[in-house]
Amino acid sequence: MIGAVDSEALLELMWAAPLAALTVTVAWGLVIHGSARAVESQRDGRTVLAVLHAITAIAGAALFMAAVVFGLIVMTSKG
Amino acid sequence: MDSDIILVIVVATALAFDFTNGFHDTANAVATSISTRALAPKVAVGLAAILNFAGAFISLKVAATIAGGIVMADVINETVIFAGLIGAIVWNLVTWYYGLPSSSSHALIGGVVGAAFVAAGSHAIQTSGLLEKVIVPALVAPIVAFAAAGLAILITYRMVGRLHPGVVNRGYRLGQIGSASLLALSHGTNDAQKTMGIIVLALVAHGDLSGASPEPPIWVIISAATAIALGTYSGGWRIIRTMGSRIYKMDPAQGFAAQGGGAAVLLTASHLGFPLSTTHSITGAVLGAGAAKRLSAVRWGLAGNIAIAWVLTLPAAAAVGAVTYGLSRIFGEGALGPVLIFASLLLLMAAIFGKRLRHGPAMTAAPAES
Repeated sequence: MIGAVDSEALLELMWAAPLAALTVTVAWGLVIHGSARAVESQRDGRTVLAVLHAITAIAGAALFMAAVVFGLIVMTSKG
Repeated sequence: MDSDIILVIVVATALAFDFTNGFHDTANAVATSISTRALAPKVAVGLAAILNFAGAFISLKVAATIAGGIVMADVINETVIFAGLIGAIVWNLVTWYYGLPSSSSHALIGGVVGAAFVAAGSHAIQTSGLLEKVIVPALVAPIVAFAAAGLAILITYRMVGRLHPGVVNRGYRLGQIGSASLLALSHGTNDAQKTMGIIVLALVAHGDLSGASPEPPIWVIISAATAIALGTYSGGWRIIRTMGSRIYKMDPAQGFAAQGGGAAVLLTASHLGFPLSTTHSITGAVLGAGAAKRLSAVRWGLAGNIAIAWVLTLPAAAAVGAVTYGLSRIFGEGALGPVLIFASLLLLMAAIFGKRLRHGPAMTAAPAES
Protein backbone atom coordinates (compact mmCIF):
# COMPACT_ATOMS: atom_id res chain seq x y z
CA MET A 1 0.00 0.00 0.00
CA ILE A 2 2.94 2.30 0.77
CA GLY A 3 4.07 1.79 -2.82
CA ALA A 4 1.04 3.79 -3.95
CA VAL A 5 2.67 6.97 -2.68
CA ASP A 6 4.95 8.71 -5.18
CA SER A 7 7.99 8.77 -2.90
CA GLU A 8 10.14 10.59 -5.47
CA ALA A 9 7.70 13.51 -5.68
CA LEU A 10 7.32 13.44 -1.91
CA LEU A 11 11.08 13.69 -1.34
CA GLU A 12 11.38 16.47 -3.90
CA LEU A 13 8.54 18.28 -2.19
CA MET A 14 10.36 18.08 1.15
CA TRP A 15 13.19 20.30 -0.05
CA ALA A 16 11.61 22.20 -2.96
CA ALA A 17 8.60 23.55 -1.06
CA PRO A 18 10.59 25.08 1.82
CA LEU A 19 13.08 26.42 -0.73
CA ALA A 20 10.24 28.10 -2.65
CA ALA A 21 8.86 29.58 0.57
CA LEU A 22 12.32 30.89 1.49
CA THR A 23 12.79 32.37 -1.99
CA VAL A 24 9.52 34.29 -1.71
CA THR A 25 10.25 35.64 1.76
CA VAL A 26 13.89 36.50 1.01
CA ALA A 27 12.81 38.27 -2.20
CA TRP A 28 10.27 40.41 -0.38
CA GLY A 29 12.71 40.94 2.48
CA LEU A 30 15.22 42.32 -0.03
CA VAL A 31 12.55 44.72 -1.35
CA ILE A 32 11.85 46.06 2.14
CA HIS A 33 15.46 46.10 3.31
CA GLY A 34 16.79 47.60 0.10
CA SER A 35 14.18 50.32 -0.20
CA ALA A 36 14.41 51.30 3.49
CA ARG A 37 18.21 51.50 3.40
CA ALA A 38 18.16 53.33 0.07
CA VAL A 39 15.94 56.05 1.54
CA GLU A 40 18.17 56.32 4.64
CA SER A 41 21.36 56.50 2.55
CA GLN A 42 19.86 59.09 0.22
CA ARG A 43 18.85 61.17 3.24
CA ASP A 44 22.41 60.93 4.61
CA GLY A 45 23.87 62.06 1.28
CA ARG A 46 25.49 58.69 0.46
CA THR A 47 24.30 58.46 -3.10
CA VAL A 48 26.37 55.46 -4.23
CA LEU A 49 25.20 53.38 -1.27
CA ALA A 50 21.63 54.51 -1.94
CA VAL A 51 21.88 53.30 -5.53
CA LEU A 52 23.30 49.94 -4.42
CA HIS A 53 20.45 49.47 -1.95
CA ALA A 54 17.93 50.47 -4.61
CA ILE A 55 19.41 47.86 -6.96
CA THR A 56 19.03 45.25 -4.20
CA ALA A 57 15.39 46.24 -3.78
CA ILE A 58 14.77 46.02 -7.53
CA ALA A 59 16.43 42.59 -7.69
CA GLY A 60 14.21 41.43 -4.83
CA ALA A 61 11.13 42.78 -6.59
CA ALA A 62 12.12 40.99 -9.81
CA LEU A 63 12.60 37.72 -7.91
CA PHE A 64 9.24 38.15 -6.18
CA MET A 65 7.51 38.86 -9.50
CA ALA A 66 9.16 35.78 -11.00
CA ALA A 67 7.73 33.71 -8.12
CA VAL A 68 4.25 35.18 -8.74
CA VAL A 69 4.50 34.44 -12.48
CA PHE A 70 5.62 30.87 -11.66
CA GLY A 71 2.55 30.54 -9.45
CA LEU A 72 0.26 31.78 -12.22
CA ILE A 73 1.83 29.37 -14.73
CA VAL A 74 1.30 26.45 -12.32
CA MET A 75 -2.34 27.49 -11.88
CA THR A 76 -3.08 27.78 -15.58
CA SER A 77 -1.21 24.65 -16.68
CA LYS A 78 -2.44 22.09 -14.18
CA GLY A 79 -4.49 19.19 -15.43
CA MET B 1 -39.32 12.43 -14.35
CA ASP B 2 -37.64 11.11 -11.17
CA SER B 3 -34.28 11.22 -12.94
CA ASP B 4 -34.83 14.89 -13.85
CA ILE B 5 -35.72 15.76 -10.26
CA ILE B 6 -32.63 13.95 -8.92
CA LEU B 7 -30.46 15.81 -11.44
CA VAL B 8 -31.86 19.18 -10.30
CA ILE B 9 -31.28 18.23 -6.65
CA VAL B 10 -27.70 17.06 -7.32
CA VAL B 11 -26.93 20.33 -9.15
CA ALA B 12 -28.50 22.41 -6.34
CA THR B 13 -26.62 20.40 -3.68
CA ALA B 14 -23.35 20.74 -5.60
CA LEU B 15 -23.82 24.53 -5.72
CA ALA B 16 -24.69 24.53 -2.00
CA PHE B 17 -21.44 22.63 -1.35
CA ASP B 18 -19.58 25.14 -3.53
CA PHE B 19 -21.05 27.96 -1.43
CA THR B 20 -20.00 26.34 1.87
CA ASN B 21 -16.59 25.60 0.34
CA GLY B 22 -16.23 29.31 -0.43
CA PHE B 23 -17.18 30.66 2.97
CA HIS B 24 -15.37 27.86 4.81
CA ASP B 25 -12.10 28.46 2.95
CA THR B 26 -12.16 32.28 2.83
CA ALA B 27 -9.94 32.18 5.89
CA ASN B 28 -7.12 30.49 3.98
CA ALA B 29 -6.69 33.50 1.72
CA VAL B 30 -7.57 36.43 3.94
CA ALA B 31 -7.33 35.57 7.67
CA THR B 32 -3.73 36.71 8.12
CA SER B 33 -4.25 39.83 5.96
CA ILE B 34 -7.22 40.87 8.11
CA SER B 35 -5.43 40.06 11.36
CA THR B 36 -2.40 42.20 10.47
CA ARG B 37 -4.62 44.94 9.01
CA ALA B 38 -3.05 44.59 5.59
CA LEU B 39 -6.63 44.69 4.29
CA ALA B 40 -9.90 45.82 5.85
CA PRO B 41 -12.18 42.78 6.44
CA LYS B 42 -14.80 43.66 3.85
CA VAL B 43 -12.18 44.65 1.27
CA ALA B 44 -10.34 41.37 1.92
CA VAL B 45 -13.37 39.13 1.39
CA GLY B 46 -14.50 41.24 -1.58
CA LEU B 47 -11.10 40.85 -3.23
CA ALA B 48 -11.04 37.12 -2.44
CA ALA B 49 -14.55 36.70 -3.88
CA ILE B 50 -13.63 38.45 -7.14
CA LEU B 51 -10.43 36.42 -7.52
CA ASN B 52 -12.22 33.16 -6.69
CA PHE B 53 -14.75 34.01 -9.42
CA ALA B 54 -11.96 34.83 -11.89
CA GLY B 55 -9.98 31.74 -10.87
CA ALA B 56 -12.89 29.51 -11.83
CA PHE B 57 -12.43 30.58 -15.46
CA ILE B 58 -8.63 30.26 -15.61
CA SER B 59 -8.38 26.50 -15.86
CA LEU B 60 -11.34 24.51 -17.13
CA LYS B 61 -9.75 21.08 -17.02
CA VAL B 62 -12.60 19.71 -14.97
CA ALA B 63 -12.02 16.55 -12.97
CA ALA B 64 -14.07 13.85 -14.70
CA THR B 65 -14.55 11.80 -11.56
CA ILE B 66 -15.07 12.56 -7.92
CA ALA B 67 -12.73 10.75 -5.58
CA GLY B 68 -11.02 9.29 -8.66
CA GLY B 69 -8.64 6.48 -7.70
CA ILE B 70 -10.27 6.25 -4.27
CA VAL B 71 -13.73 4.92 -5.13
CA MET B 72 -14.37 2.47 -7.99
CA ALA B 73 -15.71 4.55 -10.88
CA ASP B 74 -18.59 2.18 -11.71
CA VAL B 75 -20.06 2.60 -8.22
CA ILE B 76 -20.52 6.35 -8.52
CA ASN B 77 -24.04 7.34 -9.51
CA GLU B 78 -26.22 10.40 -8.84
CA THR B 79 -27.38 9.16 -5.42
CA VAL B 80 -23.81 8.42 -4.26
CA ILE B 81 -22.73 11.89 -5.44
CA PHE B 82 -25.71 13.45 -3.66
CA ALA B 83 -24.98 11.59 -0.41
CA GLY B 84 -21.28 12.49 -0.62
CA LEU B 85 -22.14 16.15 -1.08
CA ILE B 86 -24.46 16.07 1.95
CA GLY B 87 -21.65 14.52 4.03
CA ALA B 88 -19.25 17.27 2.96
CA ILE B 89 -21.75 20.10 3.52
CA VAL B 90 -22.69 18.85 7.00
CA TRP B 91 -19.01 18.53 8.00
CA ASN B 92 -18.26 22.01 6.61
CA LEU B 93 -21.14 23.44 8.66
CA VAL B 94 -20.07 21.64 11.85
CA THR B 95 -16.45 22.81 11.59
CA TRP B 96 -17.54 26.34 10.68
CA TYR B 97 -19.85 26.36 13.72
CA TYR B 98 -16.88 25.57 15.96
CA GLY B 99 -14.57 27.91 14.02
CA LEU B 100 -12.22 25.11 12.97
CA PRO B 101 -10.45 25.13 9.58
CA SER B 102 -10.73 21.79 7.78
CA SER B 103 -10.37 20.54 4.23
CA SER B 104 -13.56 20.75 2.12
CA SER B 105 -12.00 18.42 -0.47
CA HIS B 106 -11.28 15.75 2.11
CA ALA B 107 -14.82 16.14 3.43
CA LEU B 108 -16.19 15.58 -0.10
CA ILE B 109 -13.98 12.51 -0.59
CA GLY B 110 -15.09 11.22 2.82
CA GLY B 111 -18.76 11.71 1.97
CA VAL B 112 -18.41 9.86 -1.34
CA VAL B 113 -16.40 7.04 0.30
CA GLY B 114 -19.11 6.55 2.96
CA ALA B 115 -21.93 6.54 0.40
CA ALA B 116 -20.03 4.18 -1.93
CA PHE B 117 -19.30 1.83 0.98
CA VAL B 118 -23.01 1.49 1.76
CA ALA B 119 -23.90 1.25 -1.94
CA ALA B 120 -21.42 -1.45 -2.95
CA GLY B 121 -19.47 -2.67 0.06
CA SER B 122 -15.82 -2.41 1.04
CA HIS B 123 -14.50 -3.53 -2.38
CA ALA B 124 -15.69 -0.18 -3.79
CA ILE B 125 -13.00 1.62 -1.78
CA GLN B 126 -9.41 1.67 -3.03
CA THR B 127 -7.39 2.01 0.16
CA SER B 128 -4.13 2.66 -1.70
CA GLY B 129 -5.77 5.69 -3.37
CA LEU B 130 -7.07 6.84 0.00
CA LEU B 131 -3.56 6.63 1.42
CA GLU B 132 -1.95 8.37 -1.55
CA LYS B 133 -4.46 11.15 -2.08
CA VAL B 134 -5.78 11.88 1.40
CA ILE B 135 -3.82 10.45 4.32
CA VAL B 136 -0.21 11.08 3.23
CA PRO B 137 -0.92 14.63 1.92
CA ALA B 138 -2.82 15.37 5.16
CA LEU B 139 0.30 14.45 7.14
CA VAL B 140 2.80 16.09 4.78
CA ALA B 141 1.07 19.45 4.17
CA PRO B 142 1.08 20.89 7.71
CA ILE B 143 4.59 19.58 8.48
CA VAL B 144 6.20 20.99 5.32
CA ALA B 145 4.31 24.29 5.59
CA PHE B 146 5.15 24.53 9.32
CA ALA B 147 8.87 24.08 8.60
CA ALA B 148 8.84 26.39 5.57
CA ALA B 149 7.05 29.26 7.32
CA GLY B 150 9.15 28.78 10.47
CA LEU B 151 12.38 29.07 8.48
CA ALA B 152 10.95 31.97 6.50
CA ILE B 153 10.10 34.03 9.57
CA LEU B 154 13.51 33.39 11.18
CA ILE B 155 15.27 34.64 8.03
CA THR B 156 12.82 37.53 7.72
CA TYR B 157 13.56 38.77 11.24
CA ARG B 158 17.29 38.49 10.55
CA MET B 159 16.94 40.50 7.34
CA VAL B 160 14.72 43.31 8.55
CA GLY B 161 15.11 43.14 12.34
CA ARG B 162 17.19 46.32 12.55
CA LEU B 163 14.91 48.44 10.38
CA HIS B 164 12.28 50.85 11.70
CA PRO B 165 9.20 48.74 12.64
CA GLY B 166 6.84 51.12 10.82
CA VAL B 167 8.63 50.62 7.51
CA VAL B 168 8.78 46.84 8.00
CA ASN B 169 5.09 46.56 8.91
CA ARG B 170 3.99 48.68 5.94
CA GLY B 171 6.18 46.63 3.61
CA TYR B 172 4.85 43.27 4.77
CA ARG B 173 1.24 44.47 4.74
CA LEU B 174 1.76 45.42 1.08
CA GLY B 175 3.28 42.00 0.35
CA GLN B 176 0.32 40.29 2.00
CA ILE B 177 -2.06 41.86 -0.52
CA GLY B 178 -0.13 40.04 -3.26
CA SER B 179 0.05 36.70 -1.42
CA ALA B 180 -3.65 36.84 -0.44
CA SER B 181 -4.60 37.54 -4.06
CA LEU B 182 -2.52 34.63 -5.31
CA LEU B 183 -4.10 32.27 -2.78
CA ALA B 184 -7.64 33.39 -3.61
CA LEU B 185 -7.01 32.94 -7.34
CA SER B 186 -5.50 29.51 -6.71
CA HIS B 187 -8.53 28.53 -4.61
CA GLY B 188 -10.88 29.51 -7.43
CA THR B 189 -8.97 27.42 -9.98
CA ASN B 190 -8.95 24.40 -7.66
CA ASP B 191 -12.24 24.27 -5.84
CA ALA B 192 -14.74 25.72 -8.34
CA GLN B 193 -13.49 23.03 -10.74
CA LYS B 194 -14.51 20.32 -8.30
CA THR B 195 -18.11 21.54 -8.33
CA MET B 196 -18.02 21.79 -12.11
CA GLY B 197 -16.74 18.21 -12.19
CA ILE B 198 -19.61 17.02 -9.97
CA ILE B 199 -22.24 18.73 -12.12
CA VAL B 200 -20.65 17.48 -15.35
CA LEU B 201 -20.63 13.94 -13.95
CA ALA B 202 -24.32 14.24 -13.06
CA LEU B 203 -25.10 15.55 -16.56
CA VAL B 204 -23.19 12.63 -18.13
CA ALA B 205 -25.04 10.13 -15.91
CA HIS B 206 -28.32 11.76 -16.94
CA GLY B 207 -27.40 11.51 -20.62
CA ASP B 208 -27.21 15.26 -21.25
CA LEU B 209 -23.48 15.19 -22.03
CA SER B 210 -21.28 12.71 -23.83
CA GLY B 211 -19.12 10.67 -21.49
CA ALA B 212 -16.15 10.56 -23.90
CA SER B 213 -14.64 13.99 -23.17
CA PRO B 214 -17.28 16.06 -21.44
CA GLU B 215 -16.84 19.83 -21.48
CA PRO B 216 -18.69 21.88 -18.85
CA PRO B 217 -21.50 23.98 -20.39
CA ILE B 218 -21.15 27.73 -19.82
CA TRP B 219 -24.03 27.78 -17.31
CA VAL B 220 -22.12 25.24 -15.19
CA ILE B 221 -18.96 27.36 -15.21
CA ILE B 222 -20.81 30.58 -14.37
CA SER B 223 -22.98 29.03 -11.65
CA ALA B 224 -19.99 27.26 -9.98
CA ALA B 225 -17.91 30.44 -10.12
CA THR B 226 -20.81 32.48 -8.73
CA ALA B 227 -21.54 30.06 -5.88
CA ILE B 228 -17.95 29.92 -4.66
CA ALA B 229 -17.59 33.71 -4.99
CA LEU B 230 -20.83 34.34 -3.05
CA GLY B 231 -19.69 31.89 -0.37
CA THR B 232 -16.32 33.60 -0.15
CA TYR B 233 -17.95 37.02 0.08
CA SER B 234 -20.24 35.78 2.87
CA GLY B 235 -17.02 35.25 4.81
CA GLY B 236 -16.59 32.46 7.32
CA TRP B 237 -15.70 34.95 10.02
CA ARG B 238 -15.49 32.37 12.77
CA ILE B 239 -12.71 30.49 10.96
CA ILE B 240 -11.08 33.74 9.88
CA ARG B 241 -10.91 34.73 13.56
CA THR B 242 -9.42 31.36 14.53
CA MET B 243 -6.69 31.45 11.89
CA GLY B 244 -6.04 35.17 12.06
CA SER B 245 -5.94 35.89 15.77
CA ARG B 246 -7.02 33.05 18.04
CA ILE B 247 -4.03 30.77 17.35
CA TYR B 248 -1.75 33.73 18.24
CA LYS B 249 -1.61 37.45 17.58
CA MET B 250 0.58 37.76 14.51
CA ASP B 251 2.60 40.70 13.24
CA PRO B 252 2.68 41.62 9.51
CA ALA B 253 6.00 39.81 8.93
CA GLN B 254 4.55 36.61 10.41
CA GLY B 255 1.40 37.09 8.35
CA PHE B 256 3.47 37.38 5.19
CA ALA B 257 5.68 34.39 6.09
CA ALA B 258 2.57 32.27 6.75
CA GLN B 259 0.67 33.38 3.66
CA GLY B 260 3.54 33.79 1.19
CA GLY B 261 5.30 30.68 2.47
CA GLY B 262 2.08 28.69 2.45
CA ALA B 263 1.29 29.77 -1.10
CA ALA B 264 4.81 28.87 -2.25
CA VAL B 265 4.49 25.40 -0.68
CA LEU B 266 1.07 24.84 -2.26
CA LEU B 267 2.07 25.91 -5.76
CA THR B 268 5.36 23.98 -5.66
CA ALA B 269 3.48 20.87 -4.55
CA SER B 270 0.95 21.37 -7.34
CA HIS B 271 3.81 21.78 -9.85
CA LEU B 272 5.37 18.49 -8.65
CA GLY B 273 2.05 16.69 -9.06
CA PHE B 274 1.62 16.27 -5.31
CA PRO B 275 -1.36 18.51 -4.57
CA LEU B 276 -1.84 19.43 -0.91
CA SER B 277 -4.84 20.76 0.98
CA THR B 278 -4.88 24.57 1.08
CA THR B 279 -6.36 24.52 4.58
CA HIS B 280 -3.75 22.12 5.95
CA SER B 281 -0.89 24.04 4.33
CA ILE B 282 -1.94 27.51 5.42
CA THR B 283 -2.82 26.40 8.96
CA GLY B 284 0.56 24.63 9.24
CA ALA B 285 2.29 27.77 7.96
CA VAL B 286 0.43 29.99 10.46
CA LEU B 287 1.53 27.68 13.30
CA GLY B 288 5.12 27.57 11.99
CA ALA B 289 5.42 31.36 11.71
CA GLY B 290 4.14 31.70 15.28
CA ALA B 291 6.14 28.90 16.87
CA ALA B 292 9.42 30.01 15.29
CA LYS B 293 9.13 33.42 16.96
CA ARG B 294 8.04 32.14 20.37
CA LEU B 295 6.80 28.64 21.04
CA SER B 296 4.62 29.67 23.96
CA ALA B 297 2.83 32.35 21.89
CA VAL B 298 0.88 29.64 20.06
CA ARG B 299 -2.31 28.33 21.65
CA TRP B 300 -1.45 24.65 21.28
CA GLY B 301 -4.77 23.55 22.75
CA LEU B 302 -6.58 25.20 19.85
CA ALA B 303 -4.06 23.74 17.41
CA GLY B 304 -4.85 20.33 18.92
CA ASN B 305 -8.58 20.87 18.35
CA ILE B 306 -7.85 21.72 14.70
CA ALA B 307 -5.77 18.54 14.35
CA ILE B 308 -8.63 16.49 15.85
CA ALA B 309 -11.02 18.06 13.32
CA TRP B 310 -8.64 17.03 10.51
CA VAL B 311 -8.48 13.45 11.78
CA LEU B 312 -12.27 13.32 12.05
CA THR B 313 -12.95 14.88 8.63
CA LEU B 314 -12.83 11.69 6.59
CA PRO B 315 -14.70 9.34 8.97
CA ALA B 316 -17.28 11.95 10.00
CA ALA B 317 -18.12 13.00 6.43
CA ALA B 318 -18.11 9.31 5.44
CA ALA B 319 -20.57 8.50 8.23
CA VAL B 320 -22.94 11.29 7.13
CA GLY B 321 -22.58 10.24 3.48
CA ALA B 322 -23.32 6.62 4.41
CA VAL B 323 -26.38 7.51 6.50
CA THR B 324 -27.63 9.86 3.76
CA TYR B 325 -27.29 7.16 1.11
CA GLY B 326 -29.03 4.62 3.35
CA LEU B 327 -31.88 7.01 4.16
CA SER B 328 -32.45 7.97 0.54
CA ARG B 329 -32.63 4.26 -0.40
CA ILE B 330 -35.31 3.63 2.25
CA PHE B 331 -37.64 5.61 -0.04
CA GLY B 332 -36.67 3.54 -3.07
CA GLU B 333 -34.65 4.50 -6.12
CA GLY B 334 -36.85 7.46 -7.01
CA ALA B 335 -36.53 11.14 -6.17
CA LEU B 336 -38.50 11.09 -2.90
CA GLY B 337 -35.49 10.26 -0.68
CA PRO B 338 -33.16 12.94 -2.11
CA VAL B 339 -36.04 15.49 -2.05
CA LEU B 340 -36.75 14.88 1.65
CA ILE B 341 -33.05 14.89 2.58
CA PHE B 342 -32.41 18.08 0.60
CA ALA B 343 -35.36 19.76 2.36
CA SER B 344 -33.93 18.59 5.72
CA LEU B 345 -30.53 20.02 4.77
CA LEU B 346 -32.11 23.42 4.05
CA LEU B 347 -33.83 23.31 7.46
CA LEU B 348 -30.55 22.33 9.16
CA MET B 349 -28.69 25.20 7.47
CA ALA B 350 -31.43 27.65 8.47
CA ALA B 351 -31.32 26.40 12.07
CA ILE B 352 -27.51 26.65 12.34
CA PHE B 353 -27.33 30.11 10.78
CA GLY B 354 -30.34 31.22 12.86
CA LYS B 355 -28.72 30.02 16.09
CA ARG B 356 -25.50 31.81 15.22
CA LEU B 357 -27.39 35.02 14.39
CA ARG B 358 -29.13 34.91 17.80
CA HIS B 359 -25.67 35.05 19.42
CA GLY B 360 -25.22 38.50 17.91
CA PRO B 361 -23.73 39.93 14.73
CA ALA B 362 -20.14 39.26 15.78
CA MET B 363 -20.73 35.57 15.16
CA THR B 364 -21.68 35.96 11.53
CA ALA B 365 -20.50 39.39 10.46
CA ALA B 366 -17.11 40.93 9.78
CA PRO B 367 -15.06 41.87 12.84
CA ALA B 368 -15.11 45.58 13.64
CA GLU B 369 -12.60 47.55 11.61
CA SER B 370 -10.52 49.36 14.21
